[in-house]
Amino acid sequence: MAEPRYYDIRQVRGSVTQIDIDNGIVERGDSSFFDETILRALGDRGWGIFCADAFDPDSAGARRDALEKAFSLAGYTGEHLELAPAEHGMLDVPAMKEDPGDVHLDEKISLLASLEKAARIDGIVNTRASYIERTEHVRIISSEGLDSEYRMTRCGFTISAVARRNGLIQMGRESRHSILGFNLRHQEELGLKAAERAVALLDAREAKGGRTRVILDPELAGVFAHEAVGHASEGDLVKEGNSVLAGRIGERIGVKELTIVDDPSQKEFGFEPMDAEGSRVKRTEIISRGRVNAYLHSRETAAAVGGGDIGHARGMPGEPPLVRMSNTFVEKGDSNLDEILEACGEGILLKGSRGGQVDPGRGFFQFNAEYGFAIEKGEMGCLLRDVSLSGEILRTLHQIVLIGKDLELHQGYCGKGGQTVPVSDGSPHLLLEDAFVGGKGAD
Amino acid sequence: MSEERALIEELLGEASRLADEAEVFIISGESLSLVQKGESCETAEASCTWGMGIRVIRQGRIGASSTGDPKRWKDCLIAALESSRLSSPQNWGGLPSPIHIEPRAETADPAFILSPLTAARLLREVGKGVARHRSRIAEASVELEESTVTLANTHGLEYTAPHTAATVSCETIVENSTAFEFDQSVHLDLDAARVGEKASFLAEYSLNAVEIPTGNYDVVLSPIAASHLLGGVLVGALSGKNVHAGRSALASLMGKECMSPLLDIYDDPFAKGMGSTDWDAEGVPTKRLDFVCDGVLGAFAYDLRTAYRYGEESTGSAVRAGHAVAPVIGVHNLVFDGERSDVKEERALYVHDVVGAHTANPLSGDLSVELSKAFWIEDGESGTPVRSGMLVGNVFDLLKSVEGLGKESRVVGNAILPELRLSSQRIIGI
Repeated sequence: MAEPRYYDIRQVRGSVTQIDIDNGIVERGDSSFFDETILRALGDRGWGIFCADAFDPDSAGARRDALEKAFSLAGYTGEHLELAPAEHGMLDVPAMKEDPGDVHLDEKISLLASLEKAARIDGIVNTRASYIERTEHVRIISSEGLDSEYRMTRCGFTISAVARRNGLIQMGRESRHSILGFNLRHQEELGLKAAERAVALLDAREAKGGRTRVILDPELAGVFAHEAVGHASEGDLVKEGNSVLAGRIGERIGVKELTIVDDPSQKEFGFEPMDAEGSRVKRTEIISRGRVNAYLHSRETAAAVGGGDIGHARGMPGEPPLVRMSNTFVEKGDSNLDEILEACGEGILLKGSRGGQVDPGRGFFQFNAEYGFAIEKGEMGCLLRDVSLSGEILRTLHQIVLIGKDLELHQGYCGKGGQTVPVSDGSPHLLLEDAFVGGKGAD
Repeated sequence: MSEERALIEELLGEASRLADEAEVFIISGESLSLVQKGESCETAEASCTWGMGIRVIRQGRIGASSTGDPKRWKDCLIAALESSRLSSPQNWGGLPSPIHIEPRAETADPAFILSPLTAARLLREVGKGVARHRSRIAEASVELEESTVTLANTHGLEYTAPHTAATVSCETIVENSTAFEFDQSVHLDLDAARVGEKASFLAEYSLNAVEIPTGNYDVVLSPIAASHLLGGVLVGALSGKNVHAGRSALASLMGKECMSPLLDIYDDPFAKGMGSTDWDAEGVPTKRLDFVCDGVLGAFAYDLRTAYRYGEESTGSAVRAGHAVAPVIGVHNLVFDGERSDVKEERALYVHDVVGAHTANPLSGDLSVELSKAFWIEDGESGTPVRSGMLVGNVFDLLKSVEGLGKESRVVGNAILPELRLSSQRIIGI
């Protein structure tokens, strides 16, 4: 019988604990269990894949049946795929300062309740706090002799506060997620911060839409790096011809101070000890000193496209690996915020992120700030709300003229192909000339 | 007795000794998908899934847990009991008892065939459609799903429903112009070639697009753009839980005309859509729920938990996004309806889709999104394509400014809606 050219098995087992406290009511505090396995077999042409719940990869019979199913499915593919050779190897999962698994659920609820209570100030009509903790045992087995496993816990919380006055409704939100252990203690000031922002936004002005100079704060500039550059550097999109960065290795697309990196080996929220194909992870400079330098790759996209690093395949439990970002950031420059404000003169400082989206083939992105400040004569002026930024990737990269030295990373989740993975994004403050800002305000 | 029946009986028997009430939700099924990137199919994937969610209620305290392994049902039950100890107590009037429900919702196609050959045929048709224009496939996929959902509780309720779904999607590209189209149905009656043709046409049509000057323009939203822009914020604002928690912009508008008088918005669990069901995720019989009639707000959605808490009645609006997610308030098929007209008769900016719809302010509804595949409608025909621009506004204001509903509706996720013509919307361009 013909055999697959290659196969691998990725099993992810574990548990997830979630707490939700809404206006003082504990709506949930529960734990659930999952055990999902995906087996991929590379046939003469493409992949055959079989996924199942509660699959035992050590059962020779179960493994043989699944492999046969996957291999027979591979017969329906037509595209001949190759895999580039990859270096295996696994980084240590960083030690946790306090393992959330050692903290009783009662205590987690009481800490979260304290955070939620801290957001109840005058003018606030709703406070809500949620906590999530997810422990995964990941095991990857391959026909190349790999059999590696690791255990990692991610946890974090979100606090939101809603302010309302005369029919106007606004929200403030703070969240922190970590791979370094339980992070729910002594966070009350973040509750207060979210609440104060919600109340302040009731009196904020609407930003005036149009072309203007903007400063992006580290969180939003991180989302910019992720949406505008990171996605377009993903090897699968480059391979499909669905990226404006395709065919541009070596090309200058920004100032020489601009370096944008994706680094799954950094001990941040997007950290992976090895990627979802068992490949070693490492830092990739997507843009290096203003030039397109490398794409992010899986073994398959590296073989098809080249020009970049393997180690960027990630997948949700029970889902096939896709080329994904992990920790994406703009390297720090040498300007401080005062210099950036002064150079800006008149414009808008955009702060915080409500998320973004990109059409990498067309090269357009959009993202929304949580709030902003008008900048007048180089100084921060009045508070603005509902301000967004959109534009063309290549044009906007050329508009980055100053890069701060205050690099910060923020945690979040990124969606692609129906899969959501934990990531972090970051940057120092950035000054953009002539950006395209959306807002309802008039002159 | 099937293994699953035996499991349900044993679990509910054990649960009724330890809790006042218990509910078990099981979804099991198979799916098959083919994914093509570029010229031909790269990946063929099958999955075989099983998952169970348990809820227990003790003295008004609701606990929950879930697992993907039937052998772990006892761990799951213990976790649910522990969870009930920790949640806040509330007024609770009990899980529903079984009643006879006349089946009306079409959830499955009895002739559905989950076969790679069927999927491969649909994928080929997508390719044929794409070839009718200049664009090529960036990614095309076909997914076929067959599943069975069972809901049972300690009052003897046990409902089972089969579900089938077929989805075809296609992303095309020509030069630096991209487009996306899809179709979804309970049946295998999808016109896959048309999906491919539309995506191919749209990408090609948007080549040589021109800029748009900043200004106020009448806009026609495609069903896709309308669903992406309006759906999320609106469904959140119609949730009874958000209304009582102070998170809904519609909370104080009951009985008032707060949207265009042309607009009816309702949840129709019996319509031909992807969310059709005769009973909701808690076993409450579903019914049509009229949220908005002639622009007047008439109802909010409730599940049992929120209804008991605030002295309301469940509207049969509990939905589950899978076994691992406890029931929440949602919609089955959100229908936008009203008198139909030719929305493209007069000049307007047609917006096929937008980039960044999910970044709208979830409470206030304020949004500014990038246009995608926009073009002018001139003399009733598709005219000059528009390269870039931002639509800025507010979800609730958009709903007030609806001036017409197009003649045909289509299914977009859990919404069924036509093109919507909106008067004077702010577009930021050059």
